[in-house]
Amino acid sequence: MTPPPAEAVAARLASAPVASDSKINRDILSVLDGASLKYWGLLGLVVLGVAQAVATLAYQTYIGMGVAGYSHPIFWGVYIVCFVFWVGIAHAGTLISAILYLFRAKWRNAINRGAEAMTVFAVVTAALFPLIHIGRIWKFYFMIPYPNQRGLWVNFKSPLLWDLFAINTYMTISIVFFYVGLIPDIAIARDRSSGWRKVLYTILSLGWQGTSRQWKAHNRTVLHLSGLATPLVLSVHSVVSWDFAVSIVPGWHATIFAPYFVAGAIFSGFAMVLTLLIPVRRIFGLEEYITDYHFENMSRFILLTSTIVGYAYGAEYFIAWYSGVEAERTSFFMRALGPYWISTWIMITCNAVFPQLLWFKKLRTNLPFLFVLAFLINLGMWFERYVIIITGLSREHDPAVWGTYTPSLAEMSILVGSFCWFSMFFLIFLKIFPVVAIYEVKELAIHENAHGGAH
Amino acid sequence: MVGASIALPEAGSAESAEAEHPNGDGPALVAGSICEAHELRALAAERPGTRIEIPPQYNKPYPSRSACRSHELAWDDSAPGPRQPIPFSHKHHAGEYEIPCQYCHSGTDRSQAAGVPSVETCMGCHGQLALDYDQEFEGIRILKEHWGHSYVNDNGTWKLQPRDESKAKPIQWVQVHRLPEHVQFRHNRHVKRGLDCNQCHGNLRQEAPVKVEDLDKLYLVPDTLWWKYGLPTQKLEMGWCIKCHRENEASQDCLTCHY
Amino acid sequence: MSELDRRDFLKLVGASAGAAAAVGCSDPVEKLIPYVVQPEEITPGIPVIYASTCRECPAGCGLHVRTREGRPVKLEGNPEHPVNQGTLCARGQSGIGRTYHPDRFAGPMRRGPGGELEPLAWDEALSLLAEKIQANPSGTYVLGGDVGPTAGSVVDRFVTATGAGGRVVYDPFAPEALRESTRALFGQARVPRFDLSDADLVVDFGSDFLDVGPAPTEHARQLAQARDVHNENGGVRLVHVGPRLSMTASNADEWIPAKPGSEGLVALAAAHVALRERGGDASALRSLGHVTPADAAARAGVDAATIERLGRALAAAKRPVALPPGVAGWSRRAVASAAAVLLLNHALGAVGRDVHLEREPAGRARASHREALRLVEAMNSGAVSVLIVHDADPLYSLPAASGFGKALEKVDFVVSTASMVDETAARADLILPDHTPLESWGDAEPRVGVRSLLQPTIRPLFDTRALADTLLDTGRAMGLGGQLPSGSFRTLLEQAWSGSDFRNALARGGEFRPQASGSAPVPSASAMLQVAEPMLEGEGDFALVAYPHSLLYDGRGANLPWLQEIPDPVTKVAWQSWVEVSQATADKMGLKAGDVLAVETSAGRVEVPVLPRGGIRDDVVAIAIGQGHSRGHYASLAGDGQPGETRGVSVLALLPSVTDESGGRAFLTARARVTKTGGFQRLPLLQSTDNKRKRMLGEALPLAVVKGEGHGDGHAGGHHGADLGPVYANEHAPIEAYDATADSHEDSPYRWGMSIDLDKCTGCSACVAACYLENNIPVVGEEGSVRARQMSWIRIERFVGEGYIEYVDAPERGRRPQPSNEVLGKTDVRNSPMLCQQCGAAPCEPVCPPIATYHNPEGLNGMIYNRCIGTRYCSNNCPYKVRRFNYFDYSQFNWPGLFNLMLNPDVTVRGQGVMEKCTFCVQRINAARQGAKDEGRPIGDGEVVTACQQACPSHAIGFGNLKDSGSAVSKLGDDKRGYHALHSLNTRSAITYLAKVTRDVES
Repeated sequence: MTPPPAEAVAARLASAPVASDSKINRDILSVLDGASLKYWGLLGLVVLGVAQAVATLAYQTYIGMGVAGYSHPIFWGVYIVCFVFWVGIAHAGTLISAILYLFRAKWRNAINRGAEAMTVFAVVTAALFPLIHIGRIWKFYFMIPYPNQRGLWVNFKSPLLWDLFAINTYMTISIVFFYVGLIPDIAIARDRSSGWRKVLYTILSLGWQGTSRQWKAHNRTVLHLSGLATPLVLSVHSVVSWDFAVSIVPGWHATIFAPYFVAGAIFSGFAMVLTLLIPVRRIFGLEEYITDYHFENMSRFILLTSTIVGYAYGAEYFIAWYSGVEAERTSFFMRALGPYWISTWIMITCNAVFPQLLWFKKLRTNLPFLFVLAFLINLGMWFERYVIIITGLSREHDPAVWGTYTPSLAEMSILVGSFCWFSMFFLIFLKIFPVVAIYEVKELAIHENAHGGAH
Repeated sequence: MVGASIALPEAGSAESAEAEHPNGDGPALVAGSICEAHELRALAAERPGTRIEIPPQYNKPYPSRSACRSHELAWDDSAPGPRQPIPFSHKHHAGEYEIPCQYCHSGTDRSQAAGVPSVETCMGCHGQLALDYDQEFEGIRILKEHWGHSYVNDNGTWKLQPRDESKAKPIQWVQVHRLPEHVQFRHNRHVKRGLDCNQCHGNLRQEAPVKVEDLDKLYLVPDTLWWKYGLPTQKLEMGWCIKCHRENEASQDCLTCHY
Repeated sequence: MSELDRRDFLKLVGASAGAAAAVGCSDPVEKLIPYVVQPEEITPGIPVIYASTCRECPAGCGLHVRTREGRPVKLEGNPEHPVNQGTLCARGQSGIGRTYHPDRFAGPMRRGPGGELEPLAWDEALSLLAEKIQANPSGTYVLGGDVGPTAGSVVDRFVTATGAGGRVVYDPFAPEALRESTRALFGQARVPRFDLSDADLVVDFGSDFLDVGPAPTEHARQLAQARDVHNENGGVRLVHVGPRLSMTASNADEWIPAKPGSEGLVALAAAHVALRERGGDASALRSLGHVTPADAAARAGVDAATIERLGRALAAAKRPVALPPGVAGWSRRAVASAAAVLLLNHALGAVGRDVHLEREPAGRARASHREALRLVEAMNSGAVSVLIVHDADPLYSLPAASGFGKALEKVDFVVSTASMVDETAARADLILPDHTPLESWGDAEPRVGVRSLLQPTIRPLFDTRALADTLLDTGRAMGLGGQLPSGSFRTLLEQAWSGSDFRNALARGGEFRPQASGSAPVPSASAMLQVAEPMLEGEGDFALVAYPHSLLYDGRGANLPWLQEIPDPVTKVAWQSWVEVSQATADKMGLKAGDVLAVETSAGRVEVPVLPRGGIRDDVVAIAIGQGHSRGHYASLAGDGQPGETRGVSVLALLPSVTDESGGRAFLTARARVTKTGGFQRLPLLQSTDNKRKRMLGEALPLAVVKGEGHGDGHAGGHHGADLGPVYANEHAPIEAYDATADSHEDSPYRWGMSIDLDKCTGCSACVAACYLENNIPVVGEEGSVRARQMSWIRIERFVGEGYIEYVDAPERGRRPQPSNEVLGKTDVRNSPMLCQQCGAAPCEPVCPPIATYHNPEGLNGMIYNRCIGTRYCSNNCPYKVRRFNYFDYSQFNWPGLFNLMLNPDVTVRGQGVMEKCTFCVQRINAARQGAKDEGRPIGDGEVVTACQQACPSHAIGFGNLKDSGSAVSKLGDDKRGYHALHSLNTRSAITYLAKVTRDVES
């Protein structure tokens, strides 16, 4: 979709009273100060959640993977589901920051900070799961190609190795991107803070003075980073999808997987952005900066990607039938009507059906609805991965060893832990860095003033 | 060579005695055992004028001085390596007497396991030796006890009692050359290939080659804990195995050693 | 960790057992413990093999006990032994566990005042026993199983010397009815031996000779031999008559689902038809009552045409053999049924040809159920003051209704010589533990001319004493030395063998001079037997069939973990009891697998989960004998010897105490009432469905197709499958042939490959046991089995027919589809062993990040445990699902007691979190390589024998080098029946399956 011209943006923002620099600074930086008791309570809660997951992991490492629900032949479970899920979440951030930046979609400015933060935290979360998943976590370094006395090398044919590189690259880029974007705002914060914050910001702002030279350099950097990041948005989840696509498991072995996964990733990413920003906007009163207009645009994205995902679902079933391969057909029929039919239908309704309501403009700007929808989409996308992995493995080539899998308590505890881990980072982020990119919002305001004068 | 220059400890030994008699006059140094006799003779030789006295029963060539030293050093706790139940010295047996490795470690050319000699094998020789050895060496006494003998000590002399088979018990050596559980190593293949035992059990790839037959006390050569001992021995690491296999065009297939 | 691990074991060179390696956490110290005196024949690291004899069942198979550093590590068949000829069944192989079992008694024990066992010294124990006997000699009885001629004679002499009340030999499965029938018919009581080798039609009237027969290994071999498709008219036809689709029935070409106990009627009717066809004197038949096909059919619940056809087929056959009913079919009329079958054989001229009535070995102890029951009466009357029980567990294996348990309370002093705890031993006042068979001297004479020796293969691990020595010493303690033979049991054994070269016998495992069969005796028409229905006791709509579990036998197998872990070859249930009802019944009662049923007879009531089957008559429920123990590590749910909850139920608790005409034991005696309890227990079902969905697994071809021309392909090693496409009714049919020999490095002379003949595989699971024991595979127990976490590297998949494609799991069958595609009266069962196919294009290899699995130069699909990090991707990508994952650290917790001493030192014990799988016994390949290298030649054909191949009683598995076009496996690979599992995936499998051949029983 082509982005609306800056004028249009300005026009829309005009609805809100023009904000002055100082006001913008005040409003946005106000988020940082004085953490409420509620905040601390919430933070404590998620930290607790992380702690119990760590304990579970320790137990699992000591006792063995048997504490998870694996049963022959279903050897991939919730951990891999979570891995794919979080990698997916990680997509919206870069998409918004990089691609929309290149498209000069100005409306992104208010939300990109939050989205980037989410990306970083999501990918950090995702990166943990391959480790949690493997049977001998203490030997994970066998996966890394490094010269060793054994003279052993790794297998670059293995998609898991591709993953290793894809994820790490993506993590690096998104962190750099996030940080570079932060620098000017950190500087502003530095000038208004005192105590430990001052020290922190002074270090992090790398002596930002806001000189035109610095701004030039900054813009150039952001531009180039966007260039670098853009292909990653497409590549990362393609690579992840190949974990499945290159295997010979019925239901996995499909060429559609890469685009299908990327679309799904962006889809879930935007949903997660909504889930996070709607409450943030409400709690910290950022209505002026994160406006209905942003939500409407995001809704459009969600509608688009949901449609693509829906199409992919259809295509999968069609190809399974059209291929005439009995194993493929069986695998898919078992998805829809076999032991895991509930998961399958949750995934279909949440991802392909409900989002279609966004054709209605009213709903696109109805925040409570969007919030609920976003939650449902996250649920649906988690189950999408669950369905692909579990049903794929439970009905394979040899009917004599068809199996069933039920997630165990341990897996649930680590699943919950991963959400807490993610939220923990986000909560801390809220109180340390401006959740809305100040300088970019100012750019909008400047536009807005200019045109205000013209009319 | 570790421990080569270690002096004999304990009272009654030459050094301590000499400390008391700097210029060698005063009462003579009296040997209390054949081993001491050896040391005193040596002392006298290098310090003319030292008055020594060697009772006739201690004035014997055997056990030789080197035997005495080896016996001492094999149990020298200041030297690296674990203390064995018997102060056995490879230096003495394989080095000086040049007993071939496979005389004791028989079957090494047929079997994957090197095999450790049975008590019987030890007794094959030591059963023949004069009782002076029992008198001099605790090691011998321990050995014979494992064979089923016992001793009565009447003031200083050890009296060997006849063998009681039921008392015989195996010697529990501490293993010093260890491969990880998951390595299947076949001695016979390597022996048949004509490898020097020291390729692995010593270390020939360095300035001062380490040979088992030079060691009174063997180092611990563990698979993983090598870094705890800065020793010149081979670390039995995979890379090292592979290197040799590559050089000798031996199989480098994983399944050759891991299954 | 204070347990010994494999490496320590290797190091503990022959030192006294229990000397454990002290291993600290940080700086492990491992001990090297050499011999005091190293025996001549032992070189550490080189296995020593002793010949001995299996004592797991009366068949008396010959053993080769492979020992390492003085420890038995594996039991294999003795190739010279005429009974098993080098093969060994699952039960025989698992017997090794008895020696290292955690349930073993460490030494003599007595029941203290508090009822708990306390150890005491042997001489104390013996003098205690002595005085008890002296107090009332005539009140002393010896009750026990067959212990072989020499030990048996010692027992007898002890009984006479002490003036004891008597000796009762007890064997729950003793073929008394059969013996009696020969007496009734031919005037001399002999247990006939049935030889199937040259038969062209075998009719099994419920003997289940492949499940639990007189000699399963021998019969499986003979059947396979007779079944060879190259034989005249395509091999033997096997017809099974019986109520359920047993393992034997599954292997039959036709199954006549007659009512239980009606086998005799069918046999007699068939005999009449056959005689009518061939012409001959039917007078002998009439002595058993004249039974027309029509009325036999009516009474047996089959249609007359079938019996007519059977009769004509028998008449037409050149060398037909009929087998008499087995344990499950022994009713009140067992003798008559057996007689009917014998007469049928006689009418067909089989007696003297393939049915041998040899004289029985002298001094063969003859078990009599009636005697046992008399003893129970005596006990009840208080006449028995001392009861010595050996080599049997009567408290478990006698029908509860016999009242043995109550009677035991009346016995003042019960002595058990069990080497490990069982029900009877748990009630004993004095325990004088016997050696285990691997520790003992002894002999056995399974049949005349076959004298087999037992010799110790390990020094007794505990303070135990041979039964014979115990009795001799007791007698001497009573001052009866004069009346008893002097010397120890071993010397007596040598005397007993003085007639022959003892040393040579030790080396070969015995003295084998099979006798030529005597001439055919003439039946006397005077037999007063009536063939009739079984006359079942009690009410109920169902006949209760209690059949021997093919792995647990009479229950003695229940304490061996492997026999519990290996799923029942027919139902694929492990570690549990189940009651089989027909699918129709299940639908009527609304049952799904796992619903707990209450089964009630006049004698008792048990609650047991149900397993609906197509392969059982609607008017029958069946429960396997063998489970339901209350003592022991694996037999019961109790960890140690303490009383505990039983594992499963014992069907023997449901059987009234009934004997047949001869006083032999009857098992088919009760009707059962079945009610739903509403409970549910998830069964450890190790196979999800027997519907193969027309996929290229467990294929079968009609004989016509195999014999028909045009499908053969002559060319060398590995090429096959291509032109078979059309003959398989299968959408996974071969797409293109490939040259398997191209899948190893061109410089390598080898490409290891295997061939598996489904026409010979009976599903007996001997290969599975062999794999478990050769490769140190852990057992995971019931909980693990329920979660499908078994570790076996080879499993036997049992498919019924081509299967059908249904796209939905029938919801009433729950999340796991259940095996249920059997059809009453139809047998199209394909037993297909599934193990790693060592693919040339292995899907598991490219996906492994650290290259822990890879293709080795000799074509093997290597699995390097210590490189594996457990991503488990390989298993996902393996279409055969033969890779197993170490969920826990089995190496630490899986071998309680001294089990870790029997681990195979040549195979790494896998640690937690790694994948494992079959590698064609690479340790055996490398062992064979040693000899070849020393002689500077390539490994020859047949030098490498994999564990599964070695064990297979019917020689269905072939292994060798595919690059050697002369090797047996290459030749078999070229068989026109050859196909590759899931060929369409083009994994270039190294295993060629030879399709099962389906034969019609012409008439």
